[in-house]
Amino acid sequence: MAAEVLVFNLLSGIAIVSAAAMIMMRNPVHSAIALVITFVNVAAVFIMLRAEFLAVVQIIVYTGAILVLILFVLMLVNPDELPDFHGARPMQQIFGFGLGIILLAEIAVAILTRTVVAEPGPWTEDGMAAVGGNVQAIGQVLYSGYVLPIQATALVLLAATIGALFLGRPDEDEEPTPSRRTVATISLAHTRGSDQDEIPALSSANIKHEAGDRDLIMARDADEFTSTPEDDQKGQQE
Amino acid sequence: MDANLLSSYIFAVVVLNVLLGLMAYMTYLERKLMAAMQDRVGPNRTGPVGLLQPIADGIKLLVKEDIIPKHADRRIFLLAPLLSFVLAPVAAAVIPFGDSITVFGHEVNLYVADINVAALYFLAIGSMGVYGIILGGYASANRYSLLGGLRSAAQVISYEIILGLSLVGVFILSGSLSLVEIVNQQSETLHLGPLQLPNWFILSQPLAFVIFLIAAVAETNRAPFDLPEAETELIGGFHTEYSGFRFSFFFLAEYISMIVISLFGATIFLGGTDGPIRDGVWWLALKAFIFLFFYIWLRTTVPRFRYDQLMGLAWKVLLPLVLINILLTGFIRLWGLGML
Amino acid sequence: MNELMPEHFMFLSAALFIIGMVGVLTRRNVLVIFMCVELMLTAVNISFIGFAWEFSQLTGQIFALFIIAIAAAEAVIGLGIIMALTRQRDTVDIDEVRELRQ
Repeated sequence: MAAEVLVFNLLSGIAIVSAAAMIMMRNPVHSAIALVITFVNVAAVFIMLRAEFLAVVQIIVYTGAILVLILFVLMLVNPDELPDFHGARPMQQIFGFGLGIILLAEIAVAILTRTVVAEPGPWTEDGMAAVGGNVQAIGQVLYSGYVLPIQATALVLLAATIGALFLGRPDEDEEPTPSRRTVATISLAHTRGSDQDEIPALSSANIKHEAGDRDLIMARDADEFTSTPEDDQKGQQE
Repeated sequence: MDANLLSSYIFAVVVLNVLLGLMAYMTYLERKLMAAMQDRVGPNRTGPVGLLQPIADGIKLLVKEDIIPKHADRRIFLLAPLLSFVLAPVAAAVIPFGDSITVFGHEVNLYVADINVAALYFLAIGSMGVYGIILGGYASANRYSLLGGLRSAAQVISYEIILGLSLVGVFILSGSLSLVEIVNQQSETLHLGPLQLPNWFILSQPLAFVIFLIAAVAETNRAPFDLPEAETELIGGFHTEYSGFRFSFFFLAEYISMIVISLFGATIFLGGTDGPIRDGVWWLALKAFIFLFFYIWLRTTVPRFRYDQLMGLAWKVLLPLVLINILLTGFIRLWGLGML
Repeated sequence: MNELMPEHFMFLSAALFIIGMVGVLTRRNVLVIFMCVELMLTAVNISFIGFAWEFSQLTGQIFALFIIAIAAAEAVIGLGIIMALTRQRDTVDIDEVRELRQ
């Protein structure tokens, strides 16, 4: 067997196995890692098929941007709320896998019995080398015949950016916040107090006055502890 | 086996080992320089003027206990530092260290690979590097680590865009993505009236160079953009739970990627191996050293940015500037070709 | 088969596409479904690039380039919707999102 075929089979074998692992893994972060492996192997396959530029674009866009974003969102979601995969919906799974096997058989028959006939184009290995390589070849074809599609794609990307900004804007509060606190407390680790149960109310009875007449500040959260400008004004009026 | 392929492999091994050695002494250099800038002495006890300090540090890290937190996602926890460490030096494969030389009658190219998409390859490897940090942060089962990982993901994605776009001007002028070709073009001489200047892209793309410099600092998570590991607010960020040699993998990866991105910047903007007299790898080393000195200088001088300032800088200042730069370069290029 | 044939990459493409499809049909986590959609797009790209290689043309590669660009736009919008969903409903289970059905 030619070395080329061997390498191709190895790469596609890893890609398929890790893609299968992606849909079987219970933890979605593990799924994402399996998908990274698939994408890197697919990029290697692209290089074998004389598409170096697309291989690099595949890695930059898919693994470098899209999957990182997916991981980003995954980590913002509480892992306890993730639904089960195994045994949750038996009918759904039988249906899904059955349909997959039928489609695979169908496509296999189609691939093995049909042949595609087309006129070979000019971009053989030598043809690409003549203009300087794959990047230059893609550039020439793209910017001579596909100028309008590129501009349309640019518009789609712009619309997507604006749409994402719209979807990702912070929720508007139901009631307007009274005013800015004079003392800013920032908690980046979690929303205030969400990682612990309700704190029992403090009472001055279970705290010994050690300093005699000094005021004790008892606060359950930052709102109680910090004062707002209104509070200050009230205090001054009193 | 193909003799060319074999020599590439051997050269890759050489580059890898030189990088690892340099990285160790990069830590020494950083500590000494920082000490000088802060009016301290710095490491001076191990060996003459502390020269054995990096080795002592390595041994110390090797014999430390390897702790895996109880609730950690074990496999990912073990994988993440390796991923960081492996990906950092891989990007150096496309950097040209000079013309070919003859060793034992064989012509050996002083680069591992001259691929058609070298600059994009460099960016692709850089964008993969973020996985080590984000997965390490996730797997530690610690809020500080997770936050460090999330910050790093947002920061690296944002600055990756800036880094990539700042190079577009150079690509427009050189008409190639191959680093060997870009270096060749920069070794030409530019005649400006009586003045003879090297055709380095820092002269034709000064704005892109400044933006590249900022984005490179952010991309390697160095001060003042070291938000993922901000000690004062996140303890240690993504590597809080790591200890011993796993911690040092993250640490080494950071230093290696600093060196590699310095070499890359020197190649793209400062003419690589081109110099006033006797072109050679020493010029590249000198230029990379200037970058590295700048890194250390920044760390001792500038306080850490706030997180919103960091993202605001990327999206509101640098992105428009770099787009304007691309637009202007495109027009100038068209004008130069007589198409405008 | 002693050299690389179109069948090779077509089977790879088909296998990845079907794995992605099965994932979409069987998983309930909306983020995993999202990853499966990306996998299906990539599988189609393999076919395009494979045919471009087979017939020494670049049309397939350019089509794949457009697919990648659109996939990026789709990912941005999709993740935006997922973020809005988790903020509003606090779930990523696709079966629990059935407002339009009621």
